[in-house]
Amino acid sequence: MRNVAIIGVGYTPVFVSKRKDVNIVEMISESVGAALNNTGLTPDDIQAVTYGNMQTFEGVNLPHLWTSDHMRALNKPTIRISTGGTTGMSTLQAAYYYVASGMYDLVMAVTWEKQSEGDSQVGLSGIVVPEAMTMVQHGMDLFSGKGMGFGGGGSTGAASYQAMSYLHHSGASPEHIDKMAALERSNAALNPYAHLRKKTTVEDVQATPMVAFPLRFGHTCPTSDGATTAIVASEEMVNKLTDGNVAWIVGLGSATSDPCTANFLEGQITDPAEQMPAKIASEKAYKMAGIEDPGRELDMCEMYNGFAHQSLMWLEKLGVCKEGEAHKMLDAGALNIEGEMPTNASGGVFSTNAIGASAMNRPTECALQIMRKIEGGHQIPKKIKKALSHGWGGMFQYVTVMVLADEPVSS
Amino acid sequence: MAFEMGPETRQVQGMWDISTYRYRMEGGGVRLLTEAMKEKRIKGVRCNECGMVYVPGPTYCRKCFVDIDEVVEVEDRGTVMSYCVELADVRGNPRETPLISAMIELDGADSWFVGAVVGIEPEEASVGMRVKAVWAENPVGSLSDIEYFEVLEE
Repeated sequence: MRNVAIIGVGYTPVFVSKRKDVNIVEMISESVGAALNNTGLTPDDIQAVTYGNMQTFEGVNLPHLWTSDHMRALNKPTIRISTGGTTGMSTLQAAYYYVASGMYDLVMAVTWEKQSEGDSQVGLSGIVVPEAMTMVQHGMDLFSGKGMGFGGGGSTGAASYQAMSYLHHSGASPEHIDKMAALERSNAALNPYAHLRKKTTVEDVQATPMVAFPLRFGHTCPTSDGATTAIVASEEMVNKLTDGNVAWIVGLGSATSDPCTANFLEGQITDPAEQMPAKIASEKAYKMAGIEDPGRELDMCEMYNGFAHQSLMWLEKLGVCKEGEAHKMLDAGALNIEGEMPTNASGGVFSTNAIGASAMNRPTECALQIMRKIEGGHQIPKKIKKALSHGWGGMFQYVTVMVLADEPVSS
Repeated sequence: MAFEMGPETRQVQGMWDISTYRYRMEGGGVRLLTEAMKEKRIKGVRCNECGMVYVPGPTYCRKCFVDIDEVVEVEDRGTVMSYCVELADVRGNPRETPLISAMIELDGADSWFVGAVVGIEPEEASVGMRVKAVWAENPVGSLSDIEYFEVLEE
């Protein structure tokens, strides 16, 4: 396969809870325009477009068709991807496949979500409505917890089972979740493209109401409006169009397990904290990237964390550290922006969640950190040679991984 | 140069009516389970290839990818594999008393059964605790025939 690099990124000017001043196509257009501006390219230069957002969250269908002109895709191949929380990275991976295969040399990946126009809870419910209704007919009570009813507080309820299992097996305490939450929110305060931007202490987190123990309101992500576009290029185009300051995609992987939440009708058979797909996908990506010891060779991590316990969990599941070690790294300060393994310097999904773009913002953050083009105050001081980005979603089961680097892997 | 939001655009209201959809569900495993629950028993389906026991039982082993139909009975007691303490209900309304909602691996089953654990304080709950179903006095063949689970001292 050919070497592929991210040569430019375009964000909407802000990620906030409600963009009342633009509609969906206008918001997408802002991000696409920014990516073209940042690379000095024109729409004519782009050979293909990949496109991703969640299904039904805005109550609209087939948006890649009616946004084709605003994403500058006229007369070009366009494919829409919707893999849940991982959508953003899957969309970028598709752009990578286009270029790595030799099919095209310059491809644009466009991802977005405008959660204020829809209802994410309804969108999520749509995944399980037929099963849940069948169970309700057979006596399930979603309110009292009787009849196999579960899920207090929507996805937070489901995530709380994962968090509890993780705490039990890792030896971390609920206070470590508070600490990780405070660290990431404080990182987000430095990031102009983050949504919740407030320097936050552990005490601030602990003052938020409990939703479903062990998860508090202060452990959960916001719903955001925003879009992110990345442009990927072949090595030939990198040499021709850029000064060489790009981020190479040197490894990628993805995998799914069975749905490990809300599997009402057929029984849940997998611990939501097991996350075998993270191991499978990361091993594949590390092998491609020539990484043998991720904990030593990686310089930073960007984890997909709808909930604050997940940053710690993923470090372990992705082999960055051993099981049960992540909270010790947190306590030792290793996960800080100045630490040995800066984790979610951006503030993570936990601080900014325009879902379709969320798993895209992980590799774009890594790319901009490598290129030292971070706006705001969260540039990691040390040189970033290899960075790990991760996406997660589906029914708690789907994982994407992408490793970025300052140099291509020599073949 | 902080970004400033432009003037508000128009907003219109819309709705998708989910009741207009017609979902066809298999549901045989739930019928098997609820029929058994009339007699305060719990039944699932076992895979002959890998031995997995599912409750409710599917007609297809999700690990071996083969059709399965061997009905087995499992115990109404088991081990808490994970749990949470719900402070709000599914609509986000605060609960008067916290509810311990547990994922329980029933003895003889490999899938996790969901149930409320009653009779202990949330602080006393733990992964690994043993629990037993408390049945309704007059079960009618409903998933709600299990009222709740109580902690089992063994």
